[in-house]
Amino acid sequence: MEHEPAHVLLIEDNPGDADLVRLRLVEGKSDVHVNCVPRLSDAFACLDAETPSLVLLDLNLPDSHGAETFRRIMQKAPNVPVVILSGQDDEALALKAVHMGVQDYLVKGEITSKQLERALRYAVERQGLLRSMEIARKQQLEFKNRFLSHVSHELRTPLTCIHQYVTLLLDGLAGPMAPDQTDYMKTVLKSVNQLHAMIRDLLEATRADSGKLRIEPRCIDVGELVRQAVAMMRPTAAEKHVGLEVGLDQTIPLVYADPDRTLEVLINLIDNGIKFTPPDGSVIVKASRVETDPTAVYLSVGDTGRGIPAESLPQVFERLYQDPNAVDGNRTGLGLGLYIAKEIVTLHGGRMWVASEPGSGSTFSFTLPLYSLAKLLLPVITHHGRLRDAIVLVRVELTPVSKSLRGSWKETCQRCLERLRRCIFVDKDLVLPPMGTSGPVETLFVVASTGMEGVTIMMDRIRDQVGALPQLKASGTLRVTAEPVPGPPAVDPRTLEQQVWGVADCVTEIIQQDLWSKQHVTEKENQKNAN
Amino acid sequence: MRTESYGEGQPMHRAKIMVVDDDPDLRQALSLRLRANNFDTVNVCDGYSAIAMAQKEKPHLIILDLGLPAGDGFAVLKNLQQYPALAGIPVIVLTARDPESNEKRTLEAGAVAFFQKPADNEELLGVIRASLQAGWGWRAGLPS
Repeated sequence: MEHEPAHVLLIEDNPGDADLVRLRLVEGKSDVHVNCVPRLSDAFACLDAETPSLVLLDLNLPDSHGAETFRRIMQKAPNVPVVILSGQDDEALALKAVHMGVQDYLVKGEITSKQLERALRYAVERQGLLRSMEIARKQQLEFKNRFLSHVSHELRTPLTCIHQYVTLLLDGLAGPMAPDQTDYMKTVLKSVNQLHAMIRDLLEATRADSGKLRIEPRCIDVGELVRQAVAMMRPTAAEKHVGLEVGLDQTIPLVYADPDRTLEVLINLIDNGIKFTPPDGSVIVKASRVETDPTAVYLSVGDTGRGIPAESLPQVFERLYQDPNAVDGNRTGLGLGLYIAKEIVTLHGGRMWVASEPGSGSTFSFTLPLYSLAKLLLPVITHHGRLRDAIVLVRVELTPVSKSLRGSWKETCQRCLERLRRCIFVDKDLVLPPMGTSGPVETLFVVASTGMEGVTIMMDRIRDQVGALPQLKASGTLRVTAEPVPGPPAVDPRTLEQQVWGVADCVTEIIQQDLWSKQHVTEKENQKNAN
Repeated sequence: MRTESYGEGQPMHRAKIMVVDDDPDLRQALSLRLRANNFDTVNVCDGYSAIAMAQKEKPHLIILDLGLPAGDGFAVLKNLQQYPALAGIPVIVLTARDPESNEKRTLEAGAVAFFQKPADNEELLGVIRASLQAGWGWRAGLPS
């Protein structure tokens, strides 16, 4: 038994009951300090000041009632054991509270000092046990994650070696190979790539487990991403004679999401769809608005495969889930793909779910949040309750010297963005979040509350400041242009908010056209290269 | 100091790349590929030799592993900056370590690009050519 006196926080609004409990508490043999408060709000104040050894809680207080009371107290002080004081008529509720993590309950009027003393001691004891179990669980999780992360890294080195030498052979750098040998080497390379993907998934899942999975949301055209994913998966679909279709709404608003991660999710779902669809079946990728939900874009990947049995549906997003019927030589991977996909979507604030009809196919759907430009613009383009006189959109184009710079080019663009943010007036200009997805050219936009004459000063500053970055000098070029954003008609009856929406629409339109034309150019170039 | 040197006696118009990696098999494979693409290569296996060899050979570009004996990749990046003659050499980091916790750090330390192993050969070659062409003082007659 502890030698220190126990500090009990008694939360009871009935003075009679409170006195009785207090009396029973001090009657006991052990040393007890009692602090009695009548309201939950008072209790919260006490908990802020000092952590008691135990809370004795009446459920019906002036400022909180029933189940709500213990829910709130447990949320406020998750590590403090709670014992409920129930009346004869709400024993059922008290029992429910025990199920939800309250340590015990005592029925008022039946309390003896001995019983009270024992209940207190047990409650403190049990809570302590729970806490050490939780700590052990966290340590174990941490160890598992460190272990997996270490193993994945160590596996990479020999894998790299195999990859290097196989590609040396395949590229004929060690002399010519017979056609059969080339085929076999290609099989080795395919397996190396599978192994590589598995290691990557393992690391990703570990990150997701420990909350270290990161996303870098941007303002993106998700239709473009769908087309990109489908183009990337077309060879795989063709190889299996599975049709791959795209169904996009006429206009899809911009979403706020990480393009690389979203592409990863789409590719994962399409790949799964193709894997589980027999030859001559089809996979269709859709993106659309849903009338009942104005805050998101809905994406889905449907297939005409064998479907998922109803009893397996709840498990498909779980780690290590593999289709038990996959016997047709499919290597299904580690069974982490859908788990990671769902984690990525959840990180974006979206949802992911599946609907399936055994025998006729499955549809995986997810949502991504819409990007609201108007919300961002409001504080910048309004002044004293009215729209600013002139608004200009400044376009900062960063073009890499080589298309294959990738990772470091992204980093360079990030630095340019940081530098760009220092070239503007924060209260009347706004650097928009990076836009667009594919293509090496990064276009950054600035909304400036000034006319075309005034904006030249800012443009010069950008050329000086951003253009001076050594990373950009080394690997790319800078182009700065501007165009006025058409304002609303002079006499406009609409509210300020509607006017801001109007400007946001104009800006969005310019940006989307810009992104679209870039995409168009890239596609043309790709076609040219392919021919 | 252990070094392997290739391409001696080659005409001067080939770009010279120094490969720093402690795994001899990887060094060999990478050198083979680089030479097949008309680059000269110098190989070293640790951080200390990297600096010494860079001073001696003045490579046009360095491919650098992060996990190295005698001064890791970050130390090499830092040391290169100490010598005016070496500070301008573009360094491409090629490592098994994850980009999440290393890419930003290496670029801040002066590297021009970060690749995780196993890297795509064509991408790596593309960045090597781009970095050489980007004009760190050596422009003429680059193999393409």
